[in-house]
This record gives sequence, C-alpha cells and structure tokens, in this order.
Amino acid sequence: MSDSTKPKGLLKAPHWGANVAAYLFLGGMMGGLGLLAALARPDVPAQRRLRRATRRATFALAVVNPPLLISHLGRPERFLNMLRILKLRSPMSVGVWSLVAYGNLAALSVLSEAAGDALAPAQGALGAFISGYTGVLLSATAVPVWGAGKRHLPALFVCSGITTACALALLSSAADDDRVAHSLEWLETIAALGELALLHDYRRSAGRYGDPLFTGRCGRLLATSTVGAGLIAPLAMRALATVTPRRLRRPLRTLSSLLTLAGGATLRALVIEAGKRSVEDASAGMVQPT
Amino acid sequence: MPTGFFTDTTLCIGCKACEVACKQWNELPADGFAFSGASYDNTLALSGTTWRHVVFSEEARDGSVRWLMSSDVCKHCEHAGCLEACPTGAIIRNEFGNVFVQPDVCNGCGYCVVSCPFGVVDLIEDLAHVPEASTATLHDDRLERGESALQGRGGVAGKCTLCYDRQRSGMIPACAKACPTESIRFGDLDELRAQARRRVDALRERGIEARLYGADDVGDGIGRLGAFFLLTAEPERYGLPERPVLPSRRQREGYAAALLAAAAIAATGWLLFRGRRDGRGGA
Repeated sequence: MSDSTKPKGLLKAPHWGANVAAYLFLGGMMGGLGLLAALARPDVPAQRRLRRATRRATFALAVVNPPLLISHLGRPERFLNMLRILKLRSPMSVGVWSLVAYGNLAALSVLSEAAGDALAPAQGALGAFISGYTGVLLSATAVPVWGAGKRHLPALFVCSGITTACALALLSSAADDDRVAHSLEWLETIAALGELALLHDYRRSAGRYGDPLFTGRCGRLLATSTVGAGLIAPLAMRALATVTPRRLRRPLRTLSSLLTLAGGATLRALVIEAGKRSVEDASAGMVQPT
Repeated sequence: MPTGFFTDTTLCIGCKACEVACKQWNELPADGFAFSGASYDNTLALSGTTWRHVVFSEEARDGSVRWLMSSDVCKHCEHAGCLEACPTGAIIRNEFGNVFVQPDVCNGCGYCVVSCPFGVVDLIEDLAHVPEASTATLHDDRLERGESALQGRGGVAGKCTLCYDRQRSGMIPACAKACPTESIRFGDLDELRAQARRRVDALRERGIEARLYGADDVGDGIGRLGAFFLLTAEPERYGLPERPVLPSRRQREGYAAALLAAAAIAATGWLLFRGRRDGRGGA
C-alpha cells in the first residue's frame, strides 16, 4: 500500500470523484424534470408539449445515470448487491430503490402517454425525492462540511434540481410557447433565489465547518462559477430580457439556460471537492457538528 | 452477551505486538518501510488493511517528555455509523455483537468510509497488484468455500473483524493474545466494564487521573463502544473525539428540509402552470 494515501487527520476522505459529482448533477436535474412533467397540465396543448419533452428527457437521463453510479464500484456487476435489501436507515439504499422505480416510471411514461398521465403525481413526488435525497446522503456522513449542511444541502439540491430542469426545458422547443417559457422562467427565478438564500444561510450557520466550501479555492470557484455565473447572471439576463428587443430574447434565454446548467454542475463538483478538503486538516473530526 | 475490547492505555508499552499479530493472523499487507518522523509512530492511522494502530502522543512535562501510548482499533459501536449507512447489508452485527464487514457482499460503494465518526473503516483498493497481500481474511470461510474472502479486484471495505474467525473457534483475538502487558483485554463487555471501573478506582487512589472512554454512552447517538479505553488525559490527546456524532442522526432534519423545499417549489409551479393565467383551472 502506498504511504501517500495515509490520512493526516482522524477522518477518511470520500472515495467519490467526477462520476459521482456528475450523477449528483444529472440525477438532480432528472428529478426536477419529473416534477416539471407532473406540474404541466395535460389539457393545455402547449403545456402538453412541455410534459412530453420533460418525460423524454427524464427517460434519457434515467438511462445515463445508473452507469455513472455503477462506474465507481470497481466491478460493475456488484451493483446488484444493492438490490439484496431495502434499508430505510440508509439514504443510499433508499436512493437506489427510488432510482429503480423512477427509471421504470420514466420508461412507462414515454411508452404510453395515458399511463404517464395517470402516474404523473407519483413521478413528480419521486422526482422531488431524487433531487433531494443526495443532499441527505451527504449530510448524514462524518464529513464536517457536509454534516454542518444537514438543513441546507437537501433543500439546495432540490432547488438546483428544478432550476437546471427549467433551464433544460427552456432550451427545448417546448419553450416556443411564450406562456410556457414565461412560467418556466419564473419557476427558475424563484428556485434560484431560494438557492442563493440557502447558500447564504449555509455559510452563516456552518461557521468554521463551512470553510472548505466557502473559503480558499473552492470558495472562489463557488462565488464565481456557481453563484456569479450560474445564479446571478441568469437572473440578471431574465431581467434584461424584459427591456431588450424581441429578437434578442431567444439568444439571451439560451445563454442564461446554459449558464444555469453549468452552475448546477459546478455546485455538485464543489460540494464533493469541499468534502475531501474537509477531512484534510489534522484536527478535522475531533469536534463534530451535531 | 456481546464481546469486545478493553484497552487500558496505562499498561501499553508501545511495543506494537498487537499491530504485528493482527497483520500476521489476518494476512494483511505491510504498510511499507517509510519513516514518518512522528514520534515512534510510523503506522500513523488505521486503514483498510491496518486494524490496530499504536498511538504515540508526546507530552512535555517539567523538562521531560512522557508518552501517552494507546492501541487504537475499530470501536465496534453500539449504534455504528458504517452499519447504518451500508446499502448492501454487507456490514452486520454478528453473533458476538461485533460490527463485521462481509467481504463477499460488500460492493465497494464507499459510503461506510465517510459514515464512520472515528475514521476507522476504509476501502481496500485493488489488492491484486500487492504481492504480499493474501487473498483471505477469514480463515474459516476460506476453508469452507475454497475461495478468497477479500475480493482481489474492485475494492472492498476493510476494518477490524474482532477476529471473528478466531472467536468462532473459541480463541481470543490475535492482538489481545499477543499483548505482553494485558493492555488489550478481550472478553464479555459487561465483565470488561466492571473490571475497567475497578481499575479506574485503583488508579485514582494512587493519584492518577484516569477516565474511561466509551464504557458509557459517548453521546449523540453512538451509545457505548464495543472497544473502549482507559485514558489518563483528554481523549483528543489519543486522537479520539470528545463527543463523536452518529451521522445518520441528521437524516430526519435533512428529509424535512428537502420536503419543505419540494413543497414550496411544487406550490409555486402549480400556481404558475395551473393557476389563474389562462382562466380555466385554479382560483
């Protein structure tokens, strides 16, 4: 065994890398899309197009996401060991079973519109759960920066799941209808404001436990990429769009949606990175957040 | 009648026989020949393949140095973070009341690693390239099935088994057997706790500031420890957190926060999509 892997402090570092961060982002967006699909009403034609588009995107992500999770197991076939039991005390076990159920729902809703309509409430509720459980999973660990975010990370991931889902929907042809686009933009705006408030309160309440995420390199990247480019810039662009000529609105919307998506991805990557930094200090874990 | 360890640090002489005995019995790879410069400690930490670690904590006192020495090990918690987190059911409480990782069920997800408040369990990465690593940790299983218990490929969680195989054969764990001063004692936990309390009283009579760590509830959900310690200084000096927290306790508040956020977003979305604006549904 190489000595470079020896930890300096009490706690062990997470073994999770880019594939898990990518899952946190894409899985969160996938959950948000299911919630959008359930919110869009079937009796308005423009909203029905949104419903179909979000269901198709949900299904596509439900195909992409499991391989991302399985890829970090070293031997992929061992994923099946997760399906030996359902363990309500373990967010990972609950999450795996939710993903299995959600994937099947997504497939069904693409195959049969009627079945999808009947199951829409279930898809919406399960989607919201899938956006948020990853925050619970991280905060229910001994990693100090995550543990200190027990009330923030789950809500933050739910909000980010919906902002990124709205951004993706705004890039699709479902947003050609002005009213649908308007609703999506407002929902994204409100969720983005929620994210800003949660990040602010997370930083305030976490104190020193929050340093690995909110200071240093992670802190700078969080401030510039996640908060600046990913949340504030899209908010500003949507405000700007109300006074710009009509022909500029579409490119502005495309740009702001792309920035929102990038912001959601950097949020997950930085939270994982901060978790690794959080255990580097020799004193980490000697005093633990409750 | 769960079994466990009582480690009396006042008797530890820092010989590391426990580390060696553990490595030998469990056929775990060596930690290399690096010189850390940190007192007499070249082991530095428990790991997936290092299940006993003798801590050397130096304390300057009146111009001389005293060492606090303690053989650290998995705490086999009454409510164990690793066991609660494990999504496959690989981590179980066995018939001796010990927290045990079934290596053939573990799928290497790594959730237990971040869920241990003592930083004990870790993933043993691919062992196939380590020539001195044996392919077995559980002798009984190896004999019964004729196969390796440690998976050669893909990584698996590793930590102290409390010598499950030896206990099943009526033997005491290798570290306790090898300890020359009986600093490490193995036995029925109730008996060990009674023994430990008598020892604390005896030490205090001699003016030594002695305390137990983990014989009673350590607080914040973990309960009592299946491997507890007699210390003569603050737990921090031995690399033990004063008040460890069971991480899975945070779930209730986490799920509540997620539910609140989801409800707020669903209500907002409902108003935006279903509300008054097209004059049909809603208010």
